[in-house]
Amino acid sequence: MDRSDPPGSSGPSGPSGTADPPDASGSTDGSGPSRAGVEVPDTLAAVVDADTGEGELERTIGLVGGLAIGVGTMIGAGIFVFPGLAAENAGPAASLSFAIGAVVALLVALPASELATAMPRSGGGYFFISRGLGTAAGAVVGLGLWLGLVFAAAFYLVGLGSYAGQVFLEAGIALPIDPAVPLGVAFGVGLTALSLFGTENTAALQNGIVILLLVILTLFLSYGSLDALGVFGAERVPERFFPPGGTLPVLQTAALVFTSYLGFAQVATVAGDITEPSRNLPLAMVGSVLLVGVFYVVTIFVATSAFGSARLGEFGETAMVEVARSFVGLPGALAIVVAGLLATFSSANASILSASRAVYAVSRDGVIPETASRLNLAYGTPHVALGLAGGPIVVLAATGRVALLAEVASFLHLVMYGLICVALIRLRRERPSWYDPAFRCPAGFAVAGVGGLASVALIAFMQPASIGVGAAIMIAAYGWYRYYATDVELKGDF
Amino acid sequence: MTDTPTEGGGEQTETGDGQPTGDGPPTGEQPDPEASTEEQPEPDAPTDAGRPSVLVPLQVLEGESLPNGTPELLANARVVLLGYHVIPEQTATEQAREQFGEKAMSKLGEFADTLAAAGADVETRLVFTHDEATTVDRLIYEYECLAVLVPNSTERVDSVLVALRGTVGVGRNTRLVAGLFADAGVDVTLYHALNEGESPDDGESFLDGVRADLIKRGVAADRIETLVEDADAPLDAIAGRAESHDAVVMGETDPSVTTFVFGMPSEQVAERFLGPVLVVQRERPEE
Repeated sequence: MDRSDPPGSSGPSGPSGTADPPDASGSTDGSGPSRAGVEVPDTLAAVVDADTGEGELERTIGLVGGLAIGVGTMIGAGIFVFPGLAAENAGPAASLSFAIGAVVALLVALPASELATAMPRSGGGYFFISRGLGTAAGAVVGLGLWLGLVFAAAFYLVGLGSYAGQVFLEAGIALPIDPAVPLGVAFGVGLTALSLFGTENTAALQNGIVILLLVILTLFLSYGSLDALGVFGAERVPERFFPPGGTLPVLQTAALVFTSYLGFAQVATVAGDITEPSRNLPLAMVGSVLLVGVFYVVTIFVATSAFGSARLGEFGETAMVEVARSFVGLPGALAIVVAGLLATFSSANASILSASRAVYAVSRDGVIPETASRLNLAYGTPHVALGLAGGPIVVLAATGRVALLAEVASFLHLVMYGLICVALIRLRRERPSWYDPAFRCPAGFAVAGVGGLASVALIAFMQPASIGVGAAIMIAAYGWYRYYATDVELKGDF
Repeated sequence: MTDTPTEGGGEQTETGDGQPTGDGPPTGEQPDPEASTEEQPEPDAPTDAGRPSVLVPLQVLEGESLPNGTPELLANARVVLLGYHVIPEQTATEQAREQFGEKAMSKLGEFADTLAAAGADVETRLVFTHDEATTVDRLIYEYECLAVLVPNSTERVDSVLVALRGTVGVGRNTRLVAGLFADAGVDVTLYHALNEGESPDDGESFLDGVRADLIKRGVAADRIETLVEDADAPLDAIAGRAESHDAVVMGETDPSVTTFVFGMPSEQVAERFLGPVLVVQRERPEE
């Protein structure tokens, strides 16, 4: 920081660039005190956080926190729920399915990063689309994002229930019914209550969980890879790479497991809290996709080397426990059960919170009634929004339809991703005066064009039922917009 | 570091004659860029010691208000009045600002008026945050605050206990004490609990040096007392001694433990003493 800079003269370039308007209080300093602060001033954050006379906002999530949100949200599904399902459908080529998902996610994460650095506000994809493409698209995406996250959270909860059930199994307690769904529902109720009343900040805990997870997984996958390559004995006979159906099952599986990549957009939903957004947002979004993508591909490789695909399919959601058991026995199984509990728990929790933020974003803009974003002063939590997230999540988790939940979640997100790409192309063409991203997506038009097409294409490979439910939700969202929000003008509104 | 007092000095003349608009007008600041660079190497000159910056953090929405006695205590300070509200992570800070910002700002404005009426220069900041420590620390940096006030109430401000640990950073203590209390008719008691291996004479000569510095900075000699003690538990001793005073000035926690403003010792003293404690911040490294 510049020592010789007197307080007044650095004014708006300070890290939070605040300047109380003179009318805020007669006796307060009107000149803006900001000398360059602790960190390099982020002009982007400065503009967004500029004090409007009602206080400024502290940014508290750094790069590690941003990565932890992205990775923590994603890794639960790809490693701890999908391997069995995916291998059953696509055999060893399921790793290709995960790779396809990673490429599509990257093609969207890059344009999304550019948009996020142009508009680092809470709300993520909804915010970009409503400002870039207008209220109608924004309303469909905003309501779709809320429900997409609701479906995703329900999916994670069933996964969490499966791992909690596995605990009983490992302990040798026989249960008369499959406990996955009831336990998932119980966790859903518990997590919603926790986010309603829990005022303890859990960021440090979340970071710790993600780091612990990555350590367990790295050890496990390193061992597994060496084993699969024959280091510890006879090389295993590789299964035929492609499934009998050829590439179609691979693409269908890619559509199914795309739920494993929904987390990077969650980083954008907390963009308003991220420090130095022009640097940290793109790094956190792209970095978390790359990181989990590698883990997913290696996981499938290891899992399909340990067991045949059909066997894996029989193990279902907790297939990875059996894989670990086959390597190092009970300790390995227990480590993966613990990791699976942590991972699905943090994914479910992150999705519930993101869903409530999505509700806040649309309600702030008047797309749904404003009461939905009311805060409870005692707890400081948005109780209505959390209820609107937690209620349907619990109901959906009770259905227990893992594949359907995952695909509908992916469907609703993919629509948003496609529109993010459209928004990027449109904003770059129109160049409105407020559009000044700090990060520019390389080969923007091409990346966004391919990313948008790939997002839509992936939808085509889903099961008809999922497409039906997703389309019905979108039509209902559009109907709501026509009924309630036609007079709301959001395009270019800041 | 030293540009704050220089700047503060300039502001003082601006606002000294009761201008309620504070130091805002840019007219007061234009000469300063040159002035501050040139006068920097003179931190000890009492004439430009200016107003010490003191951060006053208040959780306005939790019902915390400006405690009694604070305006008198900080009448000669450049007060950075920080209203803050800690929000759980599940809530977007924007959301809280939208709903509570106006209310909090108007409360904060009242407090700022009270402080300014007593003579302080006041800068008001309102921050919605997920993490109190981050916010407080950022503002200490931004304003290069000499001290943070643990806001407790006091009936009057007649005598102050200044607990000094050692020579490191003692200059910041003297600048704060002289800046706040030089012309205020306040008795200052310098207190030092002996460190291990230190003789009472060492302690006396240390405090005499501080005393001389204070006198040079304009504190009346007959208002300064010194007190050296061999205490087993310095914190208990400070808290005990504090009972016969109206406010305490003491240092921040061990410098190796970074930046937690309400580090344990000052917090413990504040809890037992129940009066205002000015926690002198160690010099922040340049970044």
